[in-house]
Amino acid sequence: MAARALGWLAVLALVAGLGAAFGYAPREAVQGNVQRIMYLHVPAVLTAYLAFALVFVGSVGYLLTRRPGWDRLALAAAEPGVLFTGITIASGSIWGKPTWGTWWTWDARLTSTAVLFLVYVGYLLLRGMVDEPDRRARAAAVVGILGAANIPIVHFSVKWWRALHQPSTILGPEPSPIAAPIAATLLINWIAFTLLFAYLLAERMEIARLEDTHAG
Amino acid sequence: MPDNWGYVFSAYGLAAVVLLGYWRRLAGRAKSLAGRGERRQDR
Repeated sequence: MAARALGWLAVLALVAGLGAAFGYAPREAVQGNVQRIMYLHVPAVLTAYLAFALVFVGSVGYLLTRRPGWDRLALAAAEPGVLFTGITIASGSIWGKPTWGTWWTWDARLTSTAVLFLVYVGYLLLRGMVDEPDRRARAAAVVGILGAANIPIVHFSVKWWRALHQPSTILGPEPSPIAAPIAATLLINWIAFTLLFAYLLAERMEIARLEDTHAG
Repeated sequence: MPDNWGYVFSAYGLAAVVLLGYWRRLAGRAKSLAGRGERRQDR
């Protein structure tokens, strides 16, 4: 019941986010309307960071306590995390074509994000290959912990290496130079994506619990 | 720079398809597990 309410809240927030992205936020002076992809691209990657941070928490929790609930948290966060990373890569690629002139380049940010995506696809594949629950959870937890090391690499890649991708405008060390309507639209969409993630996480955790009940 | 609305709608459309597809997959799985639970109780 709470998950359903969360789902409706996420829908409302997403509608508000779309309204802000297409109705409230101004046309960007340099890039034009194609910059509106930012209201999808940035919240998607921030949500993916959150998801993989929860995979890390669930993985550590499982290795310390051996309680299946921690493993279910890690699994339930990993699936939407992979989806949000995929959306980040695809939307970035679509944005890159008209602004950079290419769909893809082996830039540090793009490459590290692709590695992040592949690590967690591997995490899900690994879970599908091991039948025994404790062995599966332990092996997945190791990958979940090691995989999280890539999150700061992705985030700081634009600082550490010369990159085509622009440096962080939000979550950066300096105060953000973004205009207020653009920042507000970004914030609304970030909240909407976080609510959507929370809903998907709650649903996936409940499914994992039912799967464990039926298996046991 | 031209507006490139086609790119904008492609990005949002793709995200909508991916997220709706995942949500439908979760809903289908939850329904099938709930059905299995009810059948188990009937026995």
